[in-house]
Amino acid sequence: MGEVTFICKRTVISTKAVEPGKFSPLSVLDRIMEGNHVRIVLYYNLPTRRRPGELTKRLRETISEALSAYPPVIGRLVRTPEGHWTVKCNDAGVRMVEAKVNGTVQEWLQNVDREKELMLVHWEEIYHKPYFWSTFYVQITEFECGGLAIGLSCSHMLSDPTSATMLIKVWADTTLGGQTAPAPVFRPLPTPPQQAAAANTTTNPTSIDHYKSGTGGGGGGACTPPPTSTITLQFSQESVARCVAAAGPHATPFDALTALLWTRIRRIRGAGPELSLSICFDARSVLGLESGFFGSCMVFNKVAGAGLSEDVAGAATAIREAGMDGDGVMEVIEWLERESEVRLDGGNNDVVCVNLESVGVYGAVFEGDAAPLRAACYVEPVGGAGKVLIMPAVEPGGRVAAVTLPEDEAKKLLEDTWVELQGVVPVVVMGLPKK
Amino acid sequence: MKLGYQYLVNHVLAFLLIPTAIAVAVEILRSSPARWNSFAIDPIHILFTSFLAVFIATVYFMSKPRSIYLVDYACYKPPVTCRVPFSTFMEHSRLILKDNPKSVDFQMRILERSGLGEETCLPPAIHYIPPTPTMDAARGEAETVIFSSIDSLMKSTGLKPKQIDILIVNCSLFSPTPSLSAMIVNKYKLRSNIKSYNLSGMGCSAGLISIDLARDLLQIHPNSNALVISTEIITPNYYKGSERAMLLPNCLFRMGGAAILLSNKRRDRSLAKYKLVHVVRTHKGADDKAYKCVYEQEDPQGKVGINLSKDLMVIAGEALKSNITTIGPLVLPASEQLLFLFTLIGRKIFNPKWKPYIPDFKQAFEHFCIHAGGRAVIDELQKNLQLSAEHVEASRMTLHRFGNTSSSSLWYELGYIEAKGRMKKGDRVWQIAFGSGFKCNSAVWKCNRTIKTTSDGPWQDCIHTYPISNLTLADTQKLVEYLQDKLGVSAPFDVVIDDVPSNSRIATIKVVRALTSLALKEAKKLIEGLP
Repeated sequence: MGEVTFICKRTVISTKAVEPGKFSPLSVLDRIMEGNHVRIVLYYNLPTRRRPGELTKRLRETISEALSAYPPVIGRLVRTPEGHWTVKCNDAGVRMVEAKVNGTVQEWLQNVDREKELMLVHWEEIYHKPYFWSTFYVQITEFECGGLAIGLSCSHMLSDPTSATMLIKVWADTTLGGQTAPAPVFRPLPTPPQQAAAANTTTNPTSIDHYKSGTGGGGGGACTPPPTSTITLQFSQESVARCVAAAGPHATPFDALTALLWTRIRRIRGAGPELSLSICFDARSVLGLESGFFGSCMVFNKVAGAGLSEDVAGAATAIREAGMDGDGVMEVIEWLERESEVRLDGGNNDVVCVNLESVGVYGAVFEGDAAPLRAACYVEPVGGAGKVLIMPAVEPGGRVAAVTLPEDEAKKLLEDTWVELQGVVPVVVMGLPKK
Repeated sequence: MKLGYQYLVNHVLAFLLIPTAIAVAVEILRSSPARWNSFAIDPIHILFTSFLAVFIATVYFMSKPRSIYLVDYACYKPPVTCRVPFSTFMEHSRLILKDNPKSVDFQMRILERSGLGEETCLPPAIHYIPPTPTMDAARGEAETVIFSSIDSLMKSTGLKPKQIDILIVNCSLFSPTPSLSAMIVNKYKLRSNIKSYNLSGMGCSAGLISIDLARDLLQIHPNSNALVISTEIITPNYYKGSERAMLLPNCLFRMGGAAILLSNKRRDRSLAKYKLVHVVRTHKGADDKAYKCVYEQEDPQGKVGINLSKDLMVIAGEALKSNITTIGPLVLPASEQLLFLFTLIGRKIFNPKWKPYIPDFKQAFEHFCIHAGGRAVIDELQKNLQLSAEHVEASRMTLHRFGNTSSSSLWYELGYIEAKGRMKKGDRVWQIAFGSGFKCNSAVWKCNRTIKTTSDGPWQDCIHTYPISNLTLADTQKLVEYLQDKLGVSAPFDVVIDDVPSNSRIATIKVVRALTSLALKEAKKLIEGLP
């Protein structure tokens, strides 16, 4: 029950041949995410009227059609003469893995844990020769008793969760055959306004801190990090509302939930003020980019842990103040363009909290009106102290928090009592692996 | 001068008869009416003469071979999801042959020079990593290709399954039991007294062998039609080893198939597209080298593949020469035959150093369909037969769009010519195919009615993008120099370098230096910066 059987792996190409000789350059925000990858899993409950493999065949055809709008997705990474990564649109395709699971989607979801869920979304680390390495992987898993899981993984250099979700939505729209989502936009980031050359120091020190602390080189810590686990907590609409109320004025659900979880993790770890938080958010809206802008647009900012009390309101205020506007993001971009050696490979020790509020996973409908039952998102690798991803839930107004922590802390978080904040009781939708 | 000679020789009969007839007429008119009566016209003589005339006419009509018509044909258009771009092919090759980088490089070089485009298709089983050529997958491919072709043919001709009298299938490398012809009989519920044949192992020229067989059968069976299916099933024949000579077919062979309807029925005469004029088959298998030149065998690791020998082009040339020697007298106008004879005699008697006269086949045919075996084959034939680029365009473009589809490629080429609207009534077509054995087979067709371009067929969505020209880098340099010389173009312009095969790096650097006057170091850096 709940066994994943691998069927085959193949390459899916686009229906339209790409003109040779085209390149799609990567911006600084893309390149800084080297070494990271995104994995998304969507679950659907579909009637079992089809023969096994029939749905997969149809989805293969429709993804080929959808990919004709995404030449960089089917391209490969190459180095520019300056040594940066760029994408050569060579029409090579994406890898597709097909699998099947016995049982139903509901049974699976009741017993799922991180390891099992990651079996539904194939990923391969970069090859020694990256020219033959597919940057996108799609997995279609059919549940024998009805149901479907779509997994998409990609290098964070090419796409963040927002863009990856949009690719899935375009695929779903192509399968459904109705109106198509707006075509993706591939273009460079807006250039920062030309500052006077004298301004070579950063004006906003804290915004760069997260990036600075990330440059420890690969494998900064000599000891191996403790094994991590991911648990998923679902907050109903009332819980979110109560949390927001407790978080003080002007708090968004993201601020409130992040504050809640941060204070909990601090308490569990007993770390006190040394445990700081970094938030990561989608900068498309503050930069004025269209939602179809394809690429990685996630910007990080550090929230200092010092001097804050344990209550949620204070934490929420600090988090809100760490949110950047367009100018702030531009400064970060400018700084990144000057410093070419910055990499975020999990070398720092902050809890990273990723704001995926704008990721519309539930819009991807492949058949009829079957919206996804559940969506899961992973941004790997998780370094340092852990990672929290806040996404919308199926229920309007609800939220899902995927928390990745060292195993023992995750266990404690599950056992934590939530009496301080009355009424904010999450439902554990994905717990620890059952030994 | 040449035209005058040709006109004279080709119409020599007319030139002889007309003066003779005039002379006889003049003589008769001049002679007096009195002489007329001296011819005693005996009723018995008249009766006898008329019986003789009728008898001769009957014998003539009875022994004349039946005319065979090609009613219509349909080619399989693979789905675009089976498309194999170069980069995907190379990536798969790299992933599967990761221990043999030299073999991978070899495949890349072959692919670059092959003349194939980015839209050729391989069957689904070959898209897997690693490929999964099961028997089921092979049957699946056979069903898809063959049934789609037959369905298109039935749609365009209105043919009903029960009307099919003869069924011939040729597929060289996949021969299951029950045969592919039995598969068709089963699917379409053909009559129980159908004459079905399945030809396997006969290579890329088997399509014309099937046509020849159909023709012979239609001589024996009056008022019948024959359905000929020519295809090659790629799935079971993907070579999984690393021997270079055996990797060539992987690079060139692609999915394709054709269904052809031939008939000797009177009523099909007006609707048919072509009339079959000649089929000439040449088999060089008696020669050991020719026999072994395309040979299926196991490599040292025990993996089965088709070994193409290095002498392939030479042997093909010789087979073609034999075939031309036979077909020449059948199709060439008298002027060309005389010239050929004179040069032959001259070489034997006077001076062996005289260049052999290559007959001008352009006078015998309007269209040429040369089997799209590979760019080298088409280049050789174009040179040997002195054909223009337009004559070989159908072959080159079929190779680009569909790859080497083996026996069915001749039909894609014919489809190209029709789709371009170039086929007019009375046009003569020469189909030439080469195949393992080593065989060279030709078929000559005459167009029965001007063929209008239709909105269906495998070329319908891409015909307007053809013909395309693939300039190699050396050609580009020549073009640039030409432009600079002739047109005085001196402003710099961009040459897009898509891909530099690893073996031609030095040559490419030389050309780039010539084009852009970069120093050696910069040119080297530029080329090495490309993947």
